[in-house]
Parts: sequence; C-alpha cells; structure tokens
Amino acid sequence: MARIALVTSNAFSRQDERLCLEAKGHVVSFKRDVAKALEAILSDPPDLLIIEKGLERNLDREVISALKNNLQLALMPIILVVSERDIATGLDWDSYQVDDIVSSQATVEELLTRIELSLARSHRVADNNPLTKLPGNSSILKSIQNMLDQGQGHAVCYVDIDNFKPYNDKYGFSRGDEVIRMVGRILVNVVQEHCGNEGFVGHVGGDDFVFHVPKEEAEPVCQDVIKSFSALIPLFLDEEDLEKGYFTSKDRQGNTRTFPLTSLSIAVVPCEKGRYSHYGEVAATAARLKKKVKALDGSNYFIDRRSASSGKS
Amino acid sequence: MDKAELKKRLNDIQSLPTLPPIVSKLNEMVADEDITAVKLGKVIEKDQVLTSKLLKMVNSSFFGFPQRISTVSNAIVLLGFNVIKTLIVTSSIFEVMQASDVGLFEHSLGCATACGIIAKMRQIKNPEEVSTAGLIHDLGKIVLRSELPEEYEAIVREAQEEGLYMRQVEKKRLGVGHGEIGGMLARQWNLPERLVFPIEFHHKPELAPEYKEIAAIVHFSDILIRAVGFGYGGDPWVPGLDHVAWERIKLSKSQMREVIAELDEKLIELQDFTLEIKVEG
Repeated sequence: MARIALVTSNAFSRQDERLCLEAKGHVVSFKRDVAKALEAILSDPPDLLIIEKGLERNLDREVISALKNNLQLALMPIILVVSERDIATGLDWDSYQVDDIVSSQATVEELLTRIELSLARSHRVADNNPLTKLPGNSSILKSIQNMLDQGQGHAVCYVDIDNFKPYNDKYGFSRGDEVIRMVGRILVNVVQEHCGNEGFVGHVGGDDFVFHVPKEEAEPVCQDVIKSFSALIPLFLDEEDLEKGYFTSKDRQGNTRTFPLTSLSIAVVPCEKGRYSHYGEVAATAARLKKKVKALDGSNYFIDRRSASSGKS
Repeated sequence: MDKAELKKRLNDIQSLPTLPPIVSKLNEMVADEDITAVKLGKVIEKDQVLTSKLLKMVNSSFFGFPQRISTVSNAIVLLGFNVIKTLIVTSSIFEVMQASDVGLFEHSLGCATACGIIAKMRQIKNPEEVSTAGLIHDLGKIVLRSELPEEYEAIVREAQEEGLYMRQVEKKRLGVGHGEIGGMLARQWNLPERLVFPIEFHHKPELAPEYKEIAAIVHFSDILIRAVGFGYGGDPWVPGLDHVAWERIKLSKSQMREVIAELDEKLIELQDFTLEIKVEG
C-alpha cells in the first residue's frame, strides 16, 4: 500500500496497467505534464516515483538529482523507465542516481515486483525520523564513526531547543511538532547551502538534532542556523508572549512558572584528525559542552577549543 | 458557469503560468554557481504567481507548516535552495504573453510596494507580510486569465465597452469577483488567513472577518497605485475608496506626502526590472 507517482509520456499509463497497481492497494497518480507532476511531488511527495528517461528539457535528470540531493527526500525510491536500447548501451549511473530501472517494454507483473522490492528495500534501510524524515540514531552513529575513521576532520554539532517541553505543554503537540520540523528544515538547508553533500544532518529524536560539517564551516553554519531560527520562531509564538518576552507553563516538577522564549543551543565538537577514535568520546565532550551552552540566555553556540571560547547572537 | 463548478475548476489547479522573461531570468540565475536561495528570493518576491506557488509549497502538508508562512523570505529559509530551484525549473509560462499580463504584473508589484511603505509607516510588525498580500491580491485575475481564457477576454472586453469595473462584469458572468476567486484558491492552497482575507476582501475590506487592517492597506494601495499610473489593473477605472477602511488606516497629509515620495523613489528603482521584463517579452 504505497502512494506511487508515475511520470511518463505513455509507458505504463494504460488503464489496465494502472488498475493492476491499484488492485494491489497502491494509490497511483499518473502525470504526463512533467512540470505539474513535479510540483505535486515536491509539495506532497509519494512513497515511490517512477519516472521515464529522456523527458523534455532534461527534466528527468534535473528532478532525480534534486530529489536525491534533498536530505529529506533522498530515501524516496526512484525507478527509471528506460528503453531496451538504454539497457544494451548502459547508462551513466552517476548522473542518474536512481534505485532501480525497468524497461518500458516490461510487463506489468515485472513492474509490480520491482515496485515491491524497492519499497521493501527502502523500509529496510530507513531509520528516518517520521516527523522530519531525517536520518535517525543508527545512521547518525554510522555517519559520525565513518567521519572519524576516515579522519575527515569535521565538527560534530549537537542542537537542541531550549524550553521545548514547557513550550509543548503550553502550545500543544502539533505546534511543537511544527517547531521541530522547522528546526530540521533550517539545519538541512543551511548545511546544504554551506557544504553541499559534505555535510550530514540527523534527528536523534524529540528536540535533539546532530549535524556534522567540515570544521571551518561549523561557525558560519551555527551563525546562520541561529539567524534563521530567530527569524522564524516568532511565527510559532503567540503575540502576547512575544510582547512579554516570556511565557508561562509548567516545569518538570509540575510547578507553574515563567520561561524565556524558545531558543536554540548548539554544542560544537571539532574532531581534528586523531583526536577522537570513537563516537562515544565525541558524545561525552558534547554532553559537557551542552551544560555550558544551556546556561547562557537566548540562542547560542559553543565551540570546544579546549581553551573554550563562545559565540553569541 | 456557477460557483460550484468554478470551485471544482479551482480544485484542479496545481499551478499557474507566469511571465516567460521572469522564468528565463531565474533559469539563468540558477545556472550560476554562486547563486544563493536569498538572491533567487529577491526575484521571486516580485512575481505574484511564483510567490504564491512558493507559499503553497511551504504551507503544504509535506513541509508541515499549514497556514503559517506568509512571506517569501521565511518560505526560503524553510524550503531551501534545491526545492526553490526545482520550482523554477518546472514553472510554467504563458504561451503567449500579452501586454496586459505585463501590466498586471507591474500593478501587483506596485501595489506590494505601496503596501510595504504604508505598513512600515503604521508600524505593523511584519510589513513584508502586508506587501505579500498586496503582491498577490489579484491572483484571481491570473486564474481567470489562464484557466478561463475565453471568459477572461469577454470580461475585459465588456468592462472596456460598458465602462464597468472588471469585478462587476465578473460578478455578472460568473457570480463571483476576482477577489473571491483569488481567496478561494489561496484557501485551497493552504495559505495563512492573514493573506486569504486581504485577497478576498480587497475591494470590501470591512467585510473581512479578520485582518481588516491588512485588507484595508491592500485596498488603499490598489487604488493608490492605479492613481499614480503604474502598471495596469485590467480596467481603466480607479476603484472607489471605502471610507470606513480609510478611517481605519487614515494617514495624515504629511504622512501621505511621505508615502508618495517614497513610493515614487521605489517605483523608479523597480522600473529597471520591469523594463527588462518588457524588453525580453
């Protein structure tokens, strides 16, 4: 039972073929007009995309690379519909970062099997957070450990939202979820803008995020993240609270008290080559730093430079 | 065509066309390696169709900020470069660009500019939101132009020949005016009510259930920009001023002088851009 978007000029578009897919419980949306299809895909992504090679204006390649470079959509499986000739001559898989191919001449049974395999595979690898669609704990661990093993010298940054629990209590879960999604989007976009595919963003869970970027990018990324967060957070607070500059909610002990407006704390652990060998050590340093950065008012980042220094916005 | 049928037509609208020169300019920008999302935003926020598409996307269920985001700069932070780039690469254009399309583009841009100036003068917290409302207030006209081209032409012709406002002819032929049509689409696209109501009620701002002040500023700016003769709103008539709305946002004579001076200056700056659009068109 998946939502499938089909973007082809006519392959697999016959009524009986679509009925076949629907009989398996899939919801199929078929589009001939690529531009319109893409807009629909971006604003409401399907579980799987089937797209034909050789669309007008090179749009197939554009779309595939846009989706695969989007940290939140990269895991959506894409099946490329190719001609028999493409199969004979081979394709440049670097420019077509797809998950599978199917011949435009294939039977609908074959197509169905490929769809099911792709979906099963994507469930196997995904530990993505359902709210932000960002990689979860095991991917985070793997990514940081890889970075350490290869001595890439990135900085690992731990992000969390200050006073998130009382915010959730006061404004309700659905607005809390929006704030978490907002932070996820900001991190993805800022990291991507500064370091393209060299960066990584993951969502530990709740209001905790982790990203790592080349060491020299850490500071500008933190600054931009905090700048964007500060611009957007007022949209998620009531005017009344904004004017007062604080809000009233319950603390962990259940006592009603006032809290400063929601802000962001980032603990930055630069991992020069050879300094850490294991993910756990990085996490331990981060935990120590987090205490320091949390003690400051407002949104802040704090970089561990042994002789620690801080940045404030 | 009745209202129900019109609503059904609106339901199917995934996307609206815009001016070819704007899209080709953006496509060129996208090809430049040093381009940033913010720079693209500066052009997008001049075009009502691209702006409303951007807002549609960010307020959609996938991005998950329903009816929350009302400005281009906030949308850009949340959508990111790749999504914006795809939006540009896949945007559709008018097959034939008419002089009136450019006229409406200028009218919308001018109205947005006036809205921003007045919002700032009235010390409204988020003036960019008010100028966005001004930019997309005539979205309904784009809907008519692209989805019901024959009706649209008939409406324009009848308005000209009979000396009527476009919205009068629209009401007569379709049962609703472009304000309501734009409002319906904006609601369907999940845009915030802070934008929906000003679009829907820009000719009758006092009927807006909420955000009357924004609606009144859009209403007044629409009139002001026609009066200074920037762009073309589709009919040659300057709409009448709603006096209750004016009382709500009333500016003193000296404030008004300031508004006009600043508007003049900003419109001259905009002319470089609109000329570029006209020449390429």
